[in-house]
Amino acid sequence: MSGFNMEIHEWMLNYTRQTEWIDRRGLILWIAFYTGGLGGGLYLVSVFFNSIWGMFISWLIIAVLKGGAHLLYLGKPQRFWRIITRPQSSWLARGFIFVMLFVIFGAIQLMLSYWLPDTAGEMVFKVLTGITALVVAVYTGFVLNTVKAVPFWNSSLLPLLFVLCGILGGFGISVLIALNDGNIDLATAEAGSRWLLLANALLIAIYLWRAAKREATGKQSVMEQIRGSSAPIFWIGIVVMGIIIPLVIAFTSYAVAEMPPAVLVFGVACEVIGGLALRYCVLKAGAYSPLVARPEQQ
Amino acid sequence: MVVDLRKCVRCYACIAACRIEHFLPIGVSWPRLVAMETGGEHPTVSTYSVRCNQCHDAPCVEVCPTGATQLRDDGIVYVDQDKCVGCRYCVIACPYQNRTFLSKDKDKGFFPGRVVTDFEKAGKELYPHTHGTTEKCNFCMERIDAGLARGLKPGIDRDATPACVNTCPAQALTFGDLDDPDSEVSRLIRENQGFQLHPEYDTDPSVYFIDGKIGVSDEPSETSTKEEEPVLA
Repeated sequence: MSGFNMEIHEWMLNYTRQTEWIDRRGLILWIAFYTGGLGGGLYLVSVFFNSIWGMFISWLIIAVLKGGAHLLYLGKPQRFWRIITRPQSSWLARGFIFVMLFVIFGAIQLMLSYWLPDTAGEMVFKVLTGITALVVAVYTGFVLNTVKAVPFWNSSLLPLLFVLCGILGGFGISVLIALNDGNIDLATAEAGSRWLLLANALLIAIYLWRAAKREATGKQSVMEQIRGSSAPIFWIGIVVMGIIIPLVIAFTSYAVAEMPPAVLVFGVACEVIGGLALRYCVLKAGAYSPLVARPEQQ
Repeated sequence: MVVDLRKCVRCYACIAACRIEHFLPIGVSWPRLVAMETGGEHPTVSTYSVRCNQCHDAPCVEVCPTGATQLRDDGIVYVDQDKCVGCRYCVIACPYQNRTFLSKDKDKGFFPGRVVTDFEKAGKELYPHTHGTTEKCNFCMERIDAGLARGLKPGIDRDATPACVNTCPAQALTFGDLDDPDSEVSRLIRENQGFQLHPEYDTDPSVYFIDGKIGVSDEPSETSTKEEEPVLA
């Protein structure tokens, strides 16, 4: 019966957190956003290492987890094919097209890599799938960054942050593959993780700093993240598990000749949790400016 | 459309008229009254009538991946519910938060589990709402189209004018052609310094307000969701 109450619209006078893409069923979209970055990043890392296992896992992540989550989220999933009809203006349409292309090109490339390795065809499809993987990893950043109504998202750094986080996650998964003899050099994977962790931490700090400078609503989003209800997820999820623990493990492995596999697995798990927490906090802290301002605020 | 805040008497007739006109489900309201307390020791309640702003540069049209949200030549932005996939990108992109995703929990019926009223039955026949899609105010475009087909003039003739405008007993709502400098809406905006909400988003809304000190300040109070932490006492 809330539709008849006057009070329900008072939220329009305050900063309003977006809820559609993170609360309740919106959690599915959070998973879709993260798995897109992770899958795309893992594919790029796997191409670098020429690891067919890595490519296959990234294909599964995008085709099954990301694709499935997106379909589950839609109000009318049976009409999903319509999403490709407006790529000229919608990043969601562009992203969907590139996800489809990744799934198709990736499947062909995997078959070629398995049955006809080291051929020109395999190389061509690796390049094509690599390009689509990069777009899949980055497009969710553009989906958010083009929303002018949410100043916290309206930053050119967001796509860069998402793709970097995806590649970082890719390096993390590649460490796991290397531990299982998946044609990946463990030392190189660890080195990649090490430097990307530093870059990622720096980028997060710059992103928050710039968002706080971007009108009052942006500052409100940052405050919400570091002091508000999202603070535990930000500090524990992103800072401790996503940055500090993996960094300690990464630099310890640099000093120590050989790290126990269990510690490396723990570090990768922390990286994945950190990536999930980053997407969660970005979505959760996105806020709108008040629709109407109270006269006493003027 | 022009909303004259000096005349609005908070009677909710516009809300009721829209609900009746479009057979809106119980959890959905296309126009809304935003209420706030003003003044310190002896506060008074101020109310603002808001609805979809029918922006000329509508972010919802731009981000819609299916083309379900479209801008007509006359400036009305509408949702084709047969094309909408329910991705909710338009809900996210609207700076005015004037779009609603119609989930089943917003359409439980007026008397859930008991009786379906004749009004609801008629609504399912005459103006069906599709679960899993987004919807919003469309300036009663069906009325306008039907009126225009009969040679009527929107804003002048009642049968070609939105229901909320027809219903407003205080005549706080005025409808007409913004492109016509001689229209009533153009005159009101010109003579009363009509303004749009959040012009900084470059959306060029078609809804103007008169004499309300709104859309100016951006100072913080606190972040809240729709359900939590109401600010007003």
